[in-house]
Amino acid sequence: MNEFIKTRLIDNNAALVQMLGLCPLLAVSNTAINALGMGIATISVVVITNFLVSLIRPITKKEIRIPLFVLLIASVVTTLEMMMNAYFHQLYLVLGIFIPLIVTNCLIMARAEAYASKNAWWLSIKDGFFVGLGFALVMFIIGIMREVIGQGTLFSQAHLLFGDWGSHIEMTLIPNYDGFLIAILPPGAFFALAILVALKNKRDNKKNQAS
Amino acid sequence: MEKNPKLIDMRNILNKKWMLPVILALMTFLTSALLMTSHELTAEKIAAIKLANKLASLKKLIPAQLHDNDLINDVIEIDEPVLLGHRQTESLYIGTKQGIITVMAIPVTAQNGYSGDIDLLVGVLADGQITAVEIINHKETPGLGDLIESNKSDWLMQFTKTSLINPTESQWKVKKDRGYFDQITAATITPRAVVGAIKKALVYHRTFMLSHSPETNE
Repeated sequence: MNEFIKTRLIDNNAALVQMLGLCPLLAVSNTAINALGMGIATISVVVITNFLVSLIRPITKKEIRIPLFVLLIASVVTTLEMMMNAYFHQLYLVLGIFIPLIVTNCLIMARAEAYASKNAWWLSIKDGFFVGLGFALVMFIIGIMREVIGQGTLFSQAHLLFGDWGSHIEMTLIPNYDGFLIAILPPGAFFALAILVALKNKRDNKKNQAS
Repeated sequence: MEKNPKLIDMRNILNKKWMLPVILALMTFLTSALLMTSHELTAEKIAAIKLANKLASLKKLIPAQLHDNDLINDVIEIDEPVLLGHRQTESLYIGTKQGIITVMAIPVTAQNGYSGDIDLLVGVLADGQITAVEIINHKETPGLGDLIESNKSDWLMQFTKTSLINPTESQWKVKKDRGYFDQITAATITPRAVVGAIKKALVYHRTFMLSHSPETNE
């Protein structure tokens, strides 16, 4: 795998290593479909804001860069929400609730500051996509873990995201399951994240010993 | 290679300290313009979608066979901040058959939700029985509080055919508060707010019918 992509997806994963954007990561990962929806919304927002931040590089001065990014990101996200509401209403009904939450994701600010404000627009788009994808993947895995353990189902409410096709992949893995509430509650998110971080660290340690 | 002298000029000006507020002001202006334009572009469309959604909800609340009037024009504009938690004027939809009130859709706002207001429409028959309840607007937590939506769980269905007599008025609470209605696992505040709001709508309906009964009897 390309080094550029590998760093962003695994080695320096935004959620597992940099611990960025934990607020939406922990809050909206209680089912796989919620996590997937939030993941998709996050990827699209990071790509767009990275692109725009990269475009305004000539007027971005060190002293005022943070307010500039805040202005830009907040207004772009709001515009996106309004456009989606008006022109892609079906999608808005599903992802719309996640979009205001995205503003709380410091992942966006971090990529603007660390990468997009220093690199060309095509690289920034690529960066935004793969960092966002790495974040979305972790979120999706946590969503699957919490949903299976917490409710005994997988991809419930997929029809909201995929229409009729989605209702075919809605599964009940454990019939007559009483549920394991703590997995759905916020502590469950911390446990799931901790397990993933531990696995990631184990992999890194092995790699370090080998080299 | 000679550099364009004009470009160097521009760079120098951009690097001056007094340019910082100018850049910020420019950016504020641009982003405000962006927001204004997108609002202009979308406001009408969003309002139309909201109205269409409302009409679709009304159909569920007020069954077609129970009225012969034009629902959209037979509305009463009410503003009941205390009785129904309104923050602005809302429309009360009334279904009549041969001039007699058969059913109405009462707008009610729960201000004590988990995050922001929850706007509901409660359909009530003349005898005080609920036909259905629709959630018009809410900002509850995805995956928890939003299970009040009828397409995410059937929690909202339990109100159909209930009234202030069935269960009794004092039972209009969630089970956790020793009431009659189911709550939602891990989300108590949202269902509590919704149950309270629906009760308010029923009480309002009772008062409304009492004050209008002479007219309907004629």
